Amino acid sequence: MIRITGLRHRLLDIPDLTVGARHIAVIGPNGSGKTTLLTVCSGIEEPEAGSVRLLDRPPSAVKVGWVGEFPDRTLLFSRVYDEIASTPRFRHRPCRETDELVRAAARTVGIPHLLDAKVSALSGGEKALVALAAACAGDPEVLVLDEADSHLDGVTAERVGRVVQEATAAHVLWCTQSMDTAARADYLLFMESGAVRHHGTPEEVFARLEETCFYPTMWRVRR
Amino acid sequence: MRVDLEDLLFSRGPFSLRGSGTFEEGVHLVSGPVGSGKSTLALLLAKLLLPESGAVRQHNVSSALLLLQFPEHQITCPTVAEEIRSWGLAPEDVLAQADLLRRGDDDPFHLSRGELKRLVLACTLMRNPDLLMLDEPFSSLDCTAKRKACRMIEERKEGITIIFSHERAVLPRVDALWEMEAGSLTACGSVPGAIPRWRHAPPYLRYALDEGARPENIRLADAREALCRIRG
Repeated sequence: MIRITGLRHRLLDIPDLTVGARHIAVIGPNGSGKTTLLTVCSGIEEPEAGSVRLLDRPPSAVKVGWVGEFPDRTLLFSRVYDEIASTPRFRHRPCRETDELVRAAARTVGIPHLLDAKVSALSGGEKALVALAAACAGDPEVLVLDEADSHLDGVTAERVGRVVQEATAAHVLWCTQSMDTAARADYLLFMESGAVRHHGTPEEVFARLEETCFYPTMWRVRR
Repeated sequence: MRVDLEDLLFSRGPFSLRGSGTFEEGVHLVSGPVGSGKSTLALLLAKLLLPESGAVRQHNVSSALLLLQFPEHQITCPTVAEEIRSWGLAPEDVLAQADLLRRGDDDPFHLSRGELKRLVLACTLMRNPDLLMLDEPFSSLDCTAKRKACRMIEERKEGITIIFSHERAVLPRVDALWEMEAGSLTACGSVPGAIPRWRHAPPYLRYALDEGARPENIRLADAREALCRIRG
């Protein structure tokens, strides 16, 4: 359960919101506050007012896996293996367990062949996959993806979708500009000017957006 | 005006890129999966990387510009207005075009990622070079901004525009399709003839083709029109 009460932070203004769904997609125009909401929900920033509770705890007490849109800003290590290993290493896990976690996460995301590669030699999309593997290596209770799909091709985006679907996380909070991807979520939040303008199932939310470009392309051609 | 790729070969570690072909005037879309070499090809075309063998030959191209995939790599000035001036453009024009009015004095890194992309994209398009290369111009943008970017691309009257993208929902009208897979570039040919053999067609276009429709171009509107024609 994600519970937001009286939240005010930068442009965000969300009086009251409770979401029990597992796979939650956050959509809306650039600058509507999607990333800000994700940073507050993942405990990266403390809200100026109000509160966010994940699984009845403050976000700082929850294991959160974060995948940002600009992987260059979050990747710390020069070798892919070390980047993925940083999650268990920062938690002081033993070497052997760390190695197992790294290899399992790389397999899940489909990048075992990149483990020895230099991060600087990777393509933009491959960096996004490394960031996802690093987030998954921590076995997060909540997985947060901030437009992680914006540098991915269709096939790779499907793979990320599958990884996210199969993750053990209780909640996946996923901000995306792909409405076709968002249409597969359990629950949607449509944000505008810092507020959650519409929320509900994809059917409910997209029914309100039918006359805008925020409508899945597949729904348009199938009618 | 045209750009010829003559038996281009470039390698880095286990990755190698090969390509031949001619980019004529018009809009070209190069699609391909992550890591297939789209950005490397863009750098080679822009002559920011040199091939091991073969050549990129530009004919009657007097200006060329490359929009980098990550807009922050292109920023060189501490304010948005200075950044725009560094492109040789007037801040008011670009700010209006990029929907960033009153943001001229801001630090470019205080813009949201979509805003930063709009800024660099507007600068690149407004410079209007003979050869315009856009590496993932639509990533980070919402659908409204993507549509505007498509309109600006379509409004270019002359020159060669090459778009490297895996965008799956909002695409401009294009003249030719190319595919990049595992470092190898293939020309699918000109549109509409190339559309049925375009393996990276976005889902809505694939759906229209599977239904037996023959879209005139690759946009969602083209797919819907073609479907209307066969469904009556």
